[in-house]
Amino acid sequence: MIGSTSLELNGLSVRFGGLQALDQLSFSLQQGEIFGLIGPNGAGKTTLFNVITGLTAATSGEVRWQGKTTAGLRPDQLCNLGIARTFQNLRVFSDLSCIDNLQIAMGCNDRRTALELLAIMDLQEKGTHIAGSLAYGEQRRLELVRALATKPQLLLLDEPAAGMNPVEKQKLQVLLNTIRKQFQLTILIIEHHVPLMMKLCDRLAVLNFGRCIAIGSPQEVQEDPLVIEAYLGRGA
Amino acid sequence: MEVWLQLLVNGISIGAVYALFALGYTLVFSVLGVINFAHGAVFTCGAYFTYIFLGGVVGSNGLLAAQKLPVTFPLAIALVLAGLTAAMVGLLVETVAFKPLRRRGAEPLLYLITSLGAGVIIVNLIQLLMGAEAYALPSNILGSMPAVLALGHGLQIRTVQLLLLLVGGVTMLILNIWLNQSLSGKALQAVAEDATTARLLGINSGAMIQLAFAIASFLAGLSGGLVALSVNIGGPYFGISYGLKGLGVLVLGGLGSVPGAMLGGLIIGITEAFVPAKLSAYKDAVAFAFLFLVLIIRPQGLFGKPPIEKV
Amino acid sequence: MFDISLFVLMLLGALLALAVYLPLRAGQLSLATPGFYTIGGTVAALLSTTVPELGGNEQTYPLTSVFLELMLAIPLVALLAFLIGKPVLKLKGIYLAIATIALVEILRVVLLSSPWFGAAVGIFAIPQPFEGPEGYAAAFAVLLGITAWGCQRLETEPLGREMAAIRNDELAARCMGVNSERVKLIAFVLSAIIAAAAGVLAAHFFNSWSARQASFDASITTLAFVVLGGSRTWLGPVIGGLVLTALPELLRPIGDLRLIVFGLVILLGPIFIPQGLIQQKRS
Repeated sequence: MIGSTSLELNGLSVRFGGLQALDQLSFSLQQGEIFGLIGPNGAGKTTLFNVITGLTAATSGEVRWQGKTTAGLRPDQLCNLGIARTFQNLRVFSDLSCIDNLQIAMGCNDRRTALELLAIMDLQEKGTHIAGSLAYGEQRRLELVRALATKPQLLLLDEPAAGMNPVEKQKLQVLLNTIRKQFQLTILIIEHHVPLMMKLCDRLAVLNFGRCIAIGSPQEVQEDPLVIEAYLGRGA
Repeated sequence: MEVWLQLLVNGISIGAVYALFALGYTLVFSVLGVINFAHGAVFTCGAYFTYIFLGGVVGSNGLLAAQKLPVTFPLAIALVLAGLTAAMVGLLVETVAFKPLRRRGAEPLLYLITSLGAGVIIVNLIQLLMGAEAYALPSNILGSMPAVLALGHGLQIRTVQLLLLLVGGVTMLILNIWLNQSLSGKALQAVAEDATTARLLGINSGAMIQLAFAIASFLAGLSGGLVALSVNIGGPYFGISYGLKGLGVLVLGGLGSVPGAMLGGLIIGITEAFVPAKLSAYKDAVAFAFLFLVLIIRPQGLFGKPPIEKV
Repeated sequence: MFDISLFVLMLLGALLALAVYLPLRAGQLSLATPGFYTIGGTVAALLSTTVPELGGNEQTYPLTSVFLELMLAIPLVALLAFLIGKPVLKLKGIYLAIATIALVEILRVVLLSSPWFGAAVGIFAIPQPFEGPEGYAAAFAVLLGITAWGCQRLETEPLGREMAAIRNDELAARCMGVNSERVKLIAFVLSAIIAAAAGVLAAHFFNSWSARQASFDASITTLAFVVLGGSRTWLGPVIGGLVLTALPELLRPIGDLRLIVFGLVILLGPIFIPQGLIQQKRS
């Protein structure tokens, strides 16, 4: 199955009043790849996540998932179809225990699986702890494993390395590669830390003012003059 | 045609009072993000204070039986004094029921309960002091003015209605000018927009919240007095239905919106006025049914901003 | 001396508090409970006073007829709650609270004004299935027991966890596969059913029934039961309902001051014990 198209954007645009948040985006993700989204703040990266997960409706164009349009589907329906996400600002269920967090995502009472999943993130000791009481890094890992607990095929990660030190970032890279293999995931990732993205991603897309200004392998993108201009300004 | 106009005049005059009252809710909501459920009780206070300042005698059932003020104030001064006294009650409510919670950043649900508690205390204190009986305001308060004024074309208006309309309109005008022109009014709006930023800019948000309570309660007291002039005081609980109607106006206009509260008041007042006499028993239901429909079609009210959830 | 009638009222308070608690458990502040309670009571009052066949031949009103009233009132109210809940639960926070207050007001005015429901005086001489308050206490206790058992089940069922997730962060819950619309609707309908069942029993207990049951005060007082008892587990509302219903009665010796003291308790409760009397155990 590796190599076939999983997610496809067709001329996707989103407009908020006078703001063109996404402008005619068209690209597709291959099954099993790690696809990176980079671009300055306000480029529309999180908006794209919101459209893919059904939180924001497209103004025109469409998202196709496994060959079918996702227009009109609710976030929970899309989740059940295999699309899961994390959030830029941590959104664990902070009043509930870690096990509860996972059981909600799994939609059943399977405590053993929940503990097994926690173990992947080195959180097995914290099962009965209230999520809000965990350290920041632990909450990040909990949010990631909560997304995994929905048994996704596509995982959307919104700045997973934010607030992490270099050692933790290194660990995250290893972890993402591991879970991609173990769970046969396609991963779409937003991250500002470019060196990490260069090492991690199979392909990258660069967004600026809602447009995709470059797409390709990390090497190709790095050398693209439009990207250099967007990041460093004209004349650089 | 005349009937139509007559109903419109009636609707606008009561609508102006609803608007005045709802403005108080909306001011507090805009700075604090919560609803003050004691607002109706402060309105009731205003009605009773007006009665007292006009030289009314306390009935026989309360602790203050047969007492009265040594002086009798003219109507205009009595209304202003009632508003000011109500403002003091409002400040007390803020200090006791709101301040301890906002200092800790408590969840909004708790404010509902504490302000309701404050309302229960106020209403029952009134009952304890003044008894449960109804009070009619002195009939000579309008002096030599006739009770009903003819407007021509068979149109007429009760002098009290005209008073409601005038006082309501002028007060709202002053409030608007103050909010948009004065430094303190702008500071209040800044706190409403973003309390944290306002604080960083050196605005004392605690003082602004107290100011909002004082003005809101002044408006409640004033509208209580005006309503009492129009329909007399039905007893300590008579503010409840006005309190509810004010909530309706608040939500109809959009939480925290000043023009929304004004327009919402007029809409509800006029809607009620146009309920046919045969169905007058259902008048209150009509206002709420209308509110309900608006909420279903436009969940943020007429002037409210749609909620944007940051992801 | 222990007053059994007061005990019945306390059990009723606990039931209504649970009805407010259920939507709140899913983060929804609905104040419609007195409305559904009133509808339940009105169904019972109308049936038992206008359908002679239900009366039976015995001195007391047959329990089977009460059961029949329940079987009629519950589906009726559930359907109503379903139809109302669909649009209303799209509203958030305080907007939902006020929309539900509006609903209760509409219901109150309609009941007060239309002669079919006894208008302002209400419906009188509702027949008694029990000879004394002991029977009612038992009936209410059974109803409370069933409801509390259901709420306890929720603590460990996926539905209960989904409700908690919505309360915590609805948006995240939806993205984790929780159909929040459905879960909120279930909570709303269950709450209406509890309130209606309580209303059926209460109509018989009070012997008369009128629109006065559906007051704004009742909405907020039941909410106070939940907040003061503690809204994190089902035990909180039960304790809050029992204690706060008893309080004004126990304060009767201080006469007119009792409602002022009651107000003070409601005012000071959230300030000094923000989590309520029954707090969630934290591990």
